[in-house]
Amino acid sequence: MSRAARIPNLGGAKAFVLHRPHLTVQAITRQLSAIGLEAVECWPHLPAEALAADFVFFDADLGFDEQFPWKPGEAPMPLVALIGSEAPGRIEWALSHKADAQLLKPVGTAGVYSALLIARQSFEARKRLAGEIESLRQRIGERQTIVRAVAALSKGGDDDRAYAQLRSLAMSWQISVEEAARRIVAMAQAEDGDDQSHRA
Amino acid sequence: MKRRIEIGILYSRSGSYQLVSDACRLGAMRAIADINADRAQTIELVPVERDPQSNADRYATLCEDIFRTSGARHVVGCITSWSRKETIPVLEKAGGMLWYACPYEGFEANEHVVYMHACPNQHLVPLMAHVAPRFGANGFLLGSNYIWGWEMNRVARDLIADTGGKVLGERYLRIGETDVSRLIGEIRVTRPNFILNNLIGTSSYAFLSAYRELGREDAAFKPDACPVISCNLTEAELSAIGETGKGHLSAGPYFAPRPAAFASSFEASAYASVQVMADVLSGNPDAGPAEFSKAFAERRFATRLGPIAIDPNTQHATLPVLIGRIADGFFEVVSREEGVAPDPYLSRYDPAKTFGRPRLRVVS
Repeated sequence: MSRAARIPNLGGAKAFVLHRPHLTVQAITRQLSAIGLEAVECWPHLPAEALAADFVFFDADLGFDEQFPWKPGEAPMPLVALIGSEAPGRIEWALSHKADAQLLKPVGTAGVYSALLIARQSFEARKRLAGEIESLRQRIGERQTIVRAVAALSKGGDDDRAYAQLRSLAMSWQISVEEAARRIVAMAQAEDGDDQSHRA
Repeated sequence: MKRRIEIGILYSRSGSYQLVSDACRLGAMRAIADINADRAQTIELVPVERDPQSNADRYATLCEDIFRTSGARHVVGCITSWSRKETIPVLEKAGGMLWYACPYEGFEANEHVVYMHACPNQHLVPLMAHVAPRFGANGFLLGSNYIWGWEMNRVARDLIADTGGKVLGERYLRIGETDVSRLIGEIRVTRPNFILNNLIGTSSYAFLSAYRELGREDAAFKPDACPVISCNLTEAELSAIGETGKGHLSAGPYFAPRPAAFASSFEASAYASVQVMADVLSGNPDAGPAEFSKAFAERRFATRLGPIAIDPNTQHATLPVLIGRIADGFFEVVSREEGVAPDPYLSRYDPAKTFGRPRLRVVS
């Protein structure tokens, strides 16, 4: 029987709250410290130290792109949007930053704990998916390399045997087929280069 | 002339967890009587009492009724976490405060609640650290079907995993259910090292009675081989449990010495709640959540339980942690740690420190 991943312990984590001084910030800071996090308030800019933060809460009402030391959508940690006015333009802007969770203002005595857990889980899921997509993309990009490696190995002979040989080379080198193909193509090119230099 | 201050009392006078409710109510009422009898006191407390009859839906409406029909802004009350969570929105709306005198499952820190009994780092974590090395780490988890049982067992699953043990079963009964034959059958088959009992009231009594029978048939289920461990079992319920509880373990901030000022930690904690409340109100009869928060940050409080500190961040009390074994009509204290600061979100929990050695993992 498999069980869901345990609720993470948030003790000692650091959260930046990017919002002008306000009761909302006090309410968030109180909840964060009760949960065991260190809270840092800042406005109007996130300092460079925020790059090492575990969470960032940001104001969706008065926020703007230049506040962040990263491009919209590229935050290296989970983001929680603090939404007061539900104006569509402001929500659109918060979405452009890929907020992983949101809290509605005014913030009362609860809400921060679930926002932290949801933000962390969706951020990690998003990061994992992006990693998988990137690696699939790379593998698709290597299709041509595989064709060239098979051609180099078959030397005009049996393609099936050449492909089987490529796979067994990858296995014995303990690398992916794509990487093995890259090596073979590089070796073949080096040999060609040698041949050409002899001819010169 | 003493200033009269009304305070709400919200305990059920009937229902499946009545013994616990009666113990808390007695503690609160004793404290009110003692404060009113004290000539040096500048205030007189006037109880405004409502009886939710163990119906979770009635706590919020009756709490609202207290706020609407009296000047009370402080309420001592609630037994189940279900009723506490139902009451919180009413407290927030009215700016009131609830003094909660029962152990609970943690992961809450509301500004309108003062948590005067133990949270998991003051009950479940030390209890597991006591039990796992002595009896083994494989547990069977029981609970009444509401938030206390669900959340306690969730924390227990993590703790058991950290000790390298296994959860051999997890079962829930409706509050008040007394048919425990299926649980007993599963425990007999899975043969755990201990049973974590988060059943409440009559379900808990029925289980302990059936489990004693099981122990008579098979010595592997006697308390010295496979104890039932609880975080909410106190002297208040020994009369209902009788002989069947003997040898089993419970964690709490207080077990009654003999002779004792209080019969159980529920009574003691409710008494201390009223003492702390009266202490602040006698200096400022109109004190609300903000003034209390300030008082918690500034000082400790002399109570009949000794000096009590309340963490201003979480409004949970610093408490002793005792582990007691049920003897003949009382708890024999087998372990005691003073002044354990509350950590309701277990944010300082460290498995290596708690269980002694890092757990070896099988890497697959």
